[in-house]
Amino acid sequence: MTAKLWAVVRREYLERVRTKGFVIGTILGPLILGAMMIIPIFAMRSGSKPLKVAVLDGTGTLGPAVEAALRDARFDDKPRFDVQPVGPDAPGGREAGLKKAVLEGKLDGYLALPADAVAKGAASYFGRNVSNRLDLRTMQRAVSDVLAGVRLAGAGLDPAKVKDLTRELDLKTIRLSESGEREDQGAAFIFAVILLMILYTSILMWGNMVMTSVIEEKTSRVVEVMASGVSSTTLLTGKLLGVGGAGLTQFLVWSLSLFGASLVMAGPLAGTFPMPEITPLMLVSFVLFFLLGFYFYAALYAAIGSAVNTVQEAQNLAFPVMTPIFIGMVSFPAAIEAPDGPLSVTLSMIPGISPLIMFLRIVVLTPPTWQIALSIALLALGILGVLWVSARIYRVGILMYGKKPTFPELMKWVRHA
Amino acid sequence: MNDKAIVLKGIGKAFAGHVAVKDLSLEVPRGSVFGLLGPNGAGKTTTLRMVMDILGPDTGTIEILGRPADHASRDRIGYMPEERGLYPRMALEEQLVFMAAIKGMGRKEAEMRLGPWLERLGLADWRKKKVNELSKGMQQKAQFVATVLHEPEVLIMDEPTTGLDPVGMDVMREAMLDLRRKGATIVLSSHQMEAVERLCDRVALINRGEKVLDGSVAEVKARHGKNTVALAFEGDGSFIESLPGVAKVSDHGQYVEVRLEKEADPQPLLREAAARLRVRRFEIVEPSLHDIFVETVTARGEEAA
Repeated sequence: MTAKLWAVVRREYLERVRTKGFVIGTILGPLILGAMMIIPIFAMRSGSKPLKVAVLDGTGTLGPAVEAALRDARFDDKPRFDVQPVGPDAPGGREAGLKKAVLEGKLDGYLALPADAVAKGAASYFGRNVSNRLDLRTMQRAVSDVLAGVRLAGAGLDPAKVKDLTRELDLKTIRLSESGEREDQGAAFIFAVILLMILYTSILMWGNMVMTSVIEEKTSRVVEVMASGVSSTTLLTGKLLGVGGAGLTQFLVWSLSLFGASLVMAGPLAGTFPMPEITPLMLVSFVLFFLLGFYFYAALYAAIGSAVNTVQEAQNLAFPVMTPIFIGMVSFPAAIEAPDGPLSVTLSMIPGISPLIMFLRIVVLTPPTWQIALSIALLALGILGVLWVSARIYRVGILMYGKKPTFPELMKWVRHA
Repeated sequence: MNDKAIVLKGIGKAFAGHVAVKDLSLEVPRGSVFGLLGPNGAGKTTTLRMVMDILGPDTGTIEILGRPADHASRDRIGYMPEERGLYPRMALEEQLVFMAAIKGMGRKEAEMRLGPWLERLGLADWRKKKVNELSKGMQQKAQFVATVLHEPEVLIMDEPTTGLDPVGMDVMREAMLDLRRKGATIVLSSHQMEAVERLCDRVALINRGEKVLDGSVAEVKARHGKNTVALAFEGDGSFIESLPGVAKVSDHGQYVEVRLEKEADPQPLLREAAARLRVRRFEIVEPSLHDIFVETVTARGEEAA
């Protein structure tokens, strides 16, 4: 019995692992992952060159002040604007000349202050790229300060003093954890989302693979030969262990390279680069929740695969079954917002949703140990329940060809198997 | 030691709405070639699936090689289902060793036994090829190897003739009879009775899930008497049907088979035929299993499929 189970596990494992897709995915995965994490951080905090801008002053008075304010404007302690003089009048006016300069690439953009800029508090920026939010926000602040200064002076107040008195709060966020403090500049958020995406896609992808392989066994009719040698339970168990093992192999390569990269890069990049921290707890729960989530959904997918004849038929049945993981996916922003709130805690206990939400809570903060333990215990119970139902559907389904069964028919299989 | 390879006692199986097998009892003696015959839908495949524990019987008991059927005893059976199936993306060699493994044979031993089988069936050059790169005929042979590699004492083949070209059929029949000489029991199921009746020494005919008759082929035929005449002729033979003593005429193209009524003498038929036709062949033959089947079923007031 064990020897047979092992033979099935071995076959399933090797069949997955030997494909080109697996090899490429396993190697390229960490590279793409790294790029996904590093590029946005680089882009956000980039040391890209300051923007070449000009100020088209319609007020006649504010020009120099605004130019000076832009020259002084800084982000991350680096000047962001290289203010260019407005060129000589081109035919059609100065604005036409600036437009031409922007289009020719001599300028990145220009700021147009209308004559009533102070009164209306309005200005326009024309540029080839207007989606660089951080830079535009910096510009908005600088110009806004100048305009406010003018207004304050008009009201008889000293702008410098007002500014000093109303200084904005500079809120630094520092994540506390057992391994020490670390300034967190939003990277943890991005990181959590990325890990969540990986978890979500991996669970679905490997679960789906179980379904496809069950359908393939039916289409190639090999399942009857198999059933004459091993029980349907052994076949299902072997498949889940084998495919799960292949998934785990890939997932381990991914998570360990992620962990390794964070260790290697934390040192040299400390301070200059917000490498998110990966704690051993995070790593362990990443892998654990992948495995548990996989088994929960793979068992369901196997039952679906056994009940249908083609992958197309399976999609309709698969959709309702995947509802929990979809709920987990759409509710994650709420869970990041309030990881200890009643909604998050509840969701992190429901099998099927918990692999995503409990993991997310572990990444964002460390929930009480009893909650983690309870979530895992409930999930394990959920897996057993799902396996029990699935094994019954599977036993009947693998030898059924023809019409796709309806939901009540499936229930009948469960009762009578 | 029990001399029965398989004993079925009163097994029955019903699926939602219809009875597939009803109170079926059979005995397959060790070392025999046993034919389980009947039209499509008679319940042959369902019966074999119950023997293999792919389906559980609703009623009755199954004994294999002298003991109640269990996993261990089923490992001693090689089963080739009607719908052949192999893993399409697995290399032939690996696949066959795997198939032996799920029947309880170790990898080493299976690998050792594989070579001669591949040689014999002309698959040796293909051992590293994936199954979906093999031709249909080769896949059939591969399936056969998958069925016998673990050295079963009982070989069950459901519709063994489907999808085989004559050469493939010969190779397989040779291999099968070879196993039998070594003491294996062979069970063949088929709806094409002519194709397997020559191979079998015992048969059971089933229809609509019930046994119609069984016994050794000689016995079954003797029970139905030597009252069939094979007649080949030139001319219009349509009058034969209306001759006294003639029960039924079936046209086989090259010749007609004339079934006489019980106790009827064939001599008047010979005289009449010689007088009105140019007779090329007149032979008193045993009735075919097919005819026996149809006759028995009709006699029971049932309609043959």
